[in-house]
Amino acid sequence: MIIYIIIPCYNEANHLAKVIESAKPYGQVLVVDDGSNDNSAEVAITSGAIVLKHFINRGQGAALETGDRFAYNNGAEAVVHFDADGQHLAMEIPSLLEPILTCEVDVVFGSRFLKDKISQIPWFKKWLILKPAVIFQNYLLKVKLTDAHNGFRALSKNALSKIFITQDGMAHPSEIIEAVKKANLKYKEVPVTILYNEFGQGFRGGFKILKDLFFSKINK
Amino acid sequence: MNYLPLQIIVSLFVILVVFRQLKKYRDNTLKISEFVSWLLLWAFVLVAFWLPQSTSYLADIFGIGRGVDLAVYSSVLVIFYLIFRVYLKLDRQQKEITKIIRHLALNEKENNQEK
Repeated sequence: MIIYIIIPCYNEANHLAKVIESAKPYGQVLVVDDGSNDNSAEVAITSGAIVLKHFINRGQGAALETGDRFAYNNGAEAVVHFDADGQHLAMEIPSLLEPILTCEVDVVFGSRFLKDKISQIPWFKKWLILKPAVIFQNYLLKVKLTDAHNGFRALSKNALSKIFITQDGMAHPSEIIEAVKKANLKYKEVPVTILYNEFGQGFRGGFKILKDLFFSKINK
Repeated sequence: MNYLPLQIIVSLFVILVVFRQLKKYRDNTLKISEFVSWLLLWAFVLVAFWLPQSTSYLADIFGIGRGVDLAVYSSVLVIFYLIFRVYLKLDRQQKEITKIIRHLALNEKENNQEK
């Protein structure tokens, strides 16, 4: 069974070796170096990962799609999207993969709100950004999810053949959910832990996501 | 008031632009619909400068006080529309660039694997 752990990375040389080491036991680690200016690619190669290189920075969504296509073309049965900054816990990868490997669903989303106490989400981020984003997302995409824009997810081979990320920036999580709905793929959420090293995306990031989604609708 | 110098400058500018667009149309880089739209726009500019009173007539129809105001309002609208078009084109080009970068990344890996 071929499983790729896809890690998009942009200037993450400091965290990368540790992240790759932690993910290695659960599948073949595939790092997509998104035009980094540091030695992220060398670190990834030394750590034993397969490395794909974007010559210039194209964004996280673009890097994930490159990883997805490589995995699909190379016979992946499933892929896991995993952050390069150490926010995700590799030991939770099996719980994301399990529903796919047992053919229960095609897509598994990680949710930090099913395991609230451990994720320790900053109050401001939780109630003023994430929760409204969840309500907005569920209303617009007609889904029932407990989390929004959590980058920890797993996709089956079938899902890979139907989901193509065109949102190069940070709007891709919404695009993936929309594609899952359109393709009528089965999905579920499993609890995951998110470690907060930095604040992540704030209001500005949120507005950029909305803008990207809006223009993608009128610019097909 | 004598507008003649301004009218001449604007007319020369319009002639220059129309010639450039005609060349683009002949080179097939401008669609017929785009070419005609531009021609109409520049014709409107010429009419507005040579027959300023005609804009007042149009302004009356739209319920706007002065012809000059109508010209300013419509110019702003046209500029916003053009910015919007440029934004959409830029967005499309960004996506094309991503496709090329992805193709290069996947190809590079495949070639390395073959070696």
